[in-house]
Amino acid sequence: MNDQGLSQEDYLTPMEEMEIDLFLEAVYRLSGFDFRKYMRSSIVRRLQNRMRMERATTISSMQEKLFHESGFVEKILNDFSINVTEMFRDPDFFKVFRHTVVPELKKLASIRIWHAGCATGEEVYSMAILLKEEGLMEKTTIYATDMNEEVLEKAKKGMFSLQKMQTYTKNYLQAGGSEAFSEYYTADNHFAYFEPSLLKNIIFAQHNLVTDSSFNEFHVIICRNVLIYFTSELQNEVQSLFYESLCTDGFLGLGNKESLRFSQCATGYEEFSTLQKIYRKKH
Amino acid sequence: MIGKNRFGISAKIITGYAVIIVCLVISIFVVNNQLSTMQKERNFIIHHDLQVHSLTNEIEKKLLEMENGQRGYVLTGSERFLKSYNAAENSWRDDFNQLYSLLADNPSQQNNLINIKKAMMSWVNETGEPIIALKKNNKNAAAVKGLQQENSIQNVENIRSQFEQFRSTEISLTEKRAAHLDSRNKNLTYGLISLLVVVIALSIGLALFISRSIVNTVKEVIASIKAMTSNGGDVSKRIFVKTKDEIRELAHATNDLLDSVEKRDWLQKSTNGIVGQYQGKATMNELGTTFISGVARSTDASYGAIYVRESMDSKKFIKKGQFAGTAADVGRDVFTIGEGLVGQCAIEKSPLLIENVPNDYILVSSALGEAQAKNVIIVPVLFEGDTIAVLELATLQTFTEEHKALIENVTKTFGLTVDSISGRMEIVRLLKESQALTEELQAQSEELQTQSEELQMQSEELRMINEQLEQRSLEAEGKSRELLQAKNELEEQAQELSLSSKYKSEFLANMSHELRTPLNSILILSEMLAENAASHQLAEDEEFARVIHSSGQDLLHLINDILDLSKVEAGKLEMLFNEVNMSELPQQLERNFAHVAQQKGLDFRVAMENDVPPLIYTDETRVQQILKNLLSNAIKFTERGTVAVHISSQAPKEKRVEANHWLCFAVSDTGIGIPKEKHDHIFEAFQQGDGATARKFGGTGLGLSISLEFIKLLGGTLELESEEGKGSTFYMYLPSLPEGVTTLASVEEETVLQEVAATVEVEEKLPPNEQGALGFFSGKTVLITDDDQRNIFALKTALQNEGMQVITAANGHECLTLLEETENLDLILMDIMMPVMDGYETIQAIRAQEAYQDIPIIALTAKAMKNDREKCLEVGASDYVSKPLKIEQLFSVMRVWISNQ
Ligand SMILES: C[S@@+](CC[C@H](N)C(=O)[O-])C[C@H]1O[C@@H](n2cnc3c(N)ncnc32)[C@H](O)[C@@H]1O
Repeated sequence: MNDQGLSQEDYLTPMEEMEIDLFLEAVYRLSGFDFRKYMRSSIVRRLQNRMRMERATTISSMQEKLFHESGFVEKILNDFSINVTEMFRDPDFFKVFRHTVVPELKKLASIRIWHAGCATGEEVYSMAILLKEEGLMEKTTIYATDMNEEVLEKAKKGMFSLQKMQTYTKNYLQAGGSEAFSEYYTADNHFAYFEPSLLKNIIFAQHNLVTDSSFNEFHVIICRNVLIYFTSELQNEVQSLFYESLCTDGFLGLGNKESLRFSQCATGYEEFSTLQKIYRKKH
Repeated sequence: MIGKNRFGISAKIITGYAVIIVCLVISIFVVNNQLSTMQKERNFIIHHDLQVHSLTNEIEKKLLEMENGQRGYVLTGSERFLKSYNAAENSWRDDFNQLYSLLADNPSQQNNLINIKKAMMSWVNETGEPIIALKKNNKNAAAVKGLQQENSIQNVENIRSQFEQFRSTEISLTEKRAAHLDSRNKNLTYGLISLLVVVIALSIGLALFISRSIVNTVKEVIASIKAMTSNGGDVSKRIFVKTKDEIRELAHATNDLLDSVEKRDWLQKSTNGIVGQYQGKATMNELGTTFISGVARSTDASYGAIYVRESMDSKKFIKKGQFAGTAADVGRDVFTIGEGLVGQCAIEKSPLLIENVPNDYILVSSALGEAQAKNVIIVPVLFEGDTIAVLELATLQTFTEEHKALIENVTKTFGLTVDSISGRMEIVRLLKESQALTEELQAQSEELQTQSEELQMQSEELRMINEQLEQRSLEAEGKSRELLQAKNELEEQAQELSLSSKYKSEFLANMSHELRTPLNSILILSEMLAENAASHQLAEDEEFARVIHSSGQDLLHLINDILDLSKVEAGKLEMLFNEVNMSELPQQLERNFAHVAQQKGLDFRVAMENDVPPLIYTDETRVQQILKNLLSNAIKFTERGTVAVHISSQAPKEKRVEANHWLCFAVSDTGIGIPKEKHDHIFEAFQQGDGATARKFGGTGLGLSISLEFIKLLGGTLELESEEGKGSTFYMYLPSLPEGVTTLASVEEETVLQEVAATVEVEEKLPPNEQGALGFFSGKTVLITDDDQRNIFALKTALQNEGMQVITAANGHECLTLLEETENLDLILMDIMMPVMDGYETIQAIRAQEAYQDIPIIALTAKAMKNDREKCLEVGASDYVSKPLKIEQLFSVMRVWISNQ
């Protein structure tokens, strides 16, 4: 399969390792986006993909493009940014959240929720709908951040492809939605437009988990399917950022395939729901 | 251990008892002595005194016998008397002697006795014998005389009184002795009692003394032991005993026991300490470091290292922890089995103690310098019979037995821990790995998804490019076609041009006819006027002049109208907004139209409300023109009755522009009216009610269309209210616009007239992206199942308007039958609450069919019923919408479910 001069993804020669190091260093220096502590395997696959498209044979030649081909850095950044998401992704997560976390949140006078790595916003809209149905909308501020400004722009529009809406409806229903999903959108022939009132208390902002620091204290931090792209070292760093940014008794929600178990911060949390990876910060 | 001069508890007790026994023996001896003395004395009293008394009596009796015998013999001469006399005389001296000897201790009584003897002797010799001798000699008389002699009797009496005295003395003596014995007896009793008291006191004292001396030491020991236990088992204290007895021995033995307990305790504590420290360590290095420093500290070792086997199959032992006074690295990092002493020990699986350490073996360095280790011990740590680790310790002193025991102790458990930690580490490693793999998989799947999306995008791009190319070729094709078409069009246009010019010329011809007729009249009549000028028939003149005038006016109007209309259509007409004085308008109208109306015999009324502002901004000439048009129309079509103008401040329902003030000019008549179906047409150019009307009433019919155009240009609207035969009212709404009309809304008529059933709120505003919506839904087939005909009607109308095919079913059964008959169904709208077979059942029945597993079914539920909704999903509905339906929401949902994924 591999005629592109890059070895199989799980085996790289030291030279290639070095090339990648340099490449990522260049990306960092050129754009400020730091992928050096991202999972190598993932980076390598994305690079391979790009190399195939560019018909490049070495990473170094790609590096040259970085410097000399305008728009190439953006291409690479785009390659490295995986924005797969869904509304009410893992419906059970939202269901458990609704049944176990929401009662706790109801005790608070005001709520701050941080969606780190919100991608195109589906998760944020889902949360907004959930909170609205639970009557928490008014006292909640949702901070939705991502390092990729392009996806944030999409998120702000609240406009999702019609083709995905059937899945989203199913997810919504499975997640225990209490209304008709169609209450929240109007559709034209291509997109469903979510009710702008959902956006009332949502703040979208660019934030990079690798390079930026904490910006508030939150009652809930949701960061799903972002850490999977990070090495465990970086995961630890980001986890301690979350720990710092969470108030006592605050909740941390991770992706279904993620875990706090091997993190250094694990001792600071109790498992609030094992199955759904919701953790609660201890006193 | 105990001193030679010990005085044991048994000795104490025996001594105590001995003392008491001795005392008892002594007292028994004394008492016995006393008793035997008293016995003797009693015996003495009994024998001696009794004998004395009886002997005394015997002697006295013998004296009396002698006297009797003498007298009897004398008197009777019987030998028998003489015999008793002799017997008595022969024996009394023996008695006497006996008595005398008995009284040896009492000389005074002896004396008395001797006196008695003397008296008796004298009696015998002086009285007894001589008399007897007399008798024997038959000197009876002398004998009797002798007997009668006073002194012989006197003598016996004397002796007897002597005896009496003697006896009483003896009795008093006996009494004396008895009293003495009595007092002795009493003394003895007292003595005995006091002896008893003394012995009791002595034994109690002794017992107390001995028991105290024993108990005190025991108490001391107990106190020491208690102190130890209450001190949390502090066995460092020892028991001290001053006495030199078994208790001391016991204390010593206990102290020995404590010593060994302390040692064991130390061993146990040190073991526990070390074991406790390394419990819960997660990594081998942590474990090794804590272990070795614990062991080294406890054994006073100055150097220590622990080597742990890499894995059970490996031959390598890797240093996992070290202890040394300084930070410097000591010892090698890796050993292979069999290599060096450590390696050797690993093979032999037994400890190795090196007491004479070679000079260069280990130099233990400290901050102050380096010293030679004295003792080195290398111990294997075994687990299940295999060496799992090796421990090495070096000390500057020697390893004591306890140290060795400790080392042995801790290495025993350490093997298990090493094994369990390596096991745990392995598990953690595997878990971590699996977690990483899970994450990796998730990342990979997301990447794949992204990649597939990218591919999709690329293929879409490709398709787009293809389409573009296709389009371009089509375009090219099209262009040539267009060229052809253009040519054709040009030809056509040329034709059209000629045609339109034909129309125009026709029109003009028409017009010229129309123009010519009045002109003819003018010409003819003016000619006649001229001819008859001389006759001066005033009435006729007048009539002619009137016709000429009116014809000329008609002509003028017509020409003006045509001009205006063409200007409007060409967009060349501009409105001039200016102040218009409203107060003058009624008079003006009155002036201009009252006489016209009067001519037709009509009432003409103009009324203006008070709230109409005096000044408005609009184009006065055009307003006048419109009013004139409307009024002349009204007058024209009214045979009798009234024509009225009513001006008020009122805004239309639908405003085309925003203005501060709106005026409403209502021009009403009582004329023929306009039939409903013609309402739309009358504003078109060259249209009047119908041809006949036109003929009857004349005129071009341009007036209304021009007026309408003007009104639009002024920002106003025109409404018509009319009934055939009853008359018409035109409502002209005009805004006051100081700035003129800035934005003129496009004149499009949105009249979405939909029948709205009671339960359906149909919103008239349609979604923004409306164009093409028809395309989206058109051709799609929807099956509506609802028992409420009004709902069905409303939905059907709304959906049909979108170009959909609508099939309706009034209940579940009908729905199922229809399903069988229908092909290409795109969506089902299902009411839930239906009689006979409700929505749930129907949905279930639909889903049970193979062909309809995936067809979107949208349930229509009541809003408040949350359970209903859950039930809907359970039975297989794809989604639900709650009633009352909002048409826009319904469309959105249908878009979602019709869109092919
Ligand atoms: C796979 S999406 C997850 C979206 C959403 N949380 C979900 O679970 O559906 C990962 C998102 O994380 C963002 N991301 C990756 N690295 C980031 C970083 N260092 N800081 C902030 N966002 C990051 C990416 O831009 C992407 O939008």
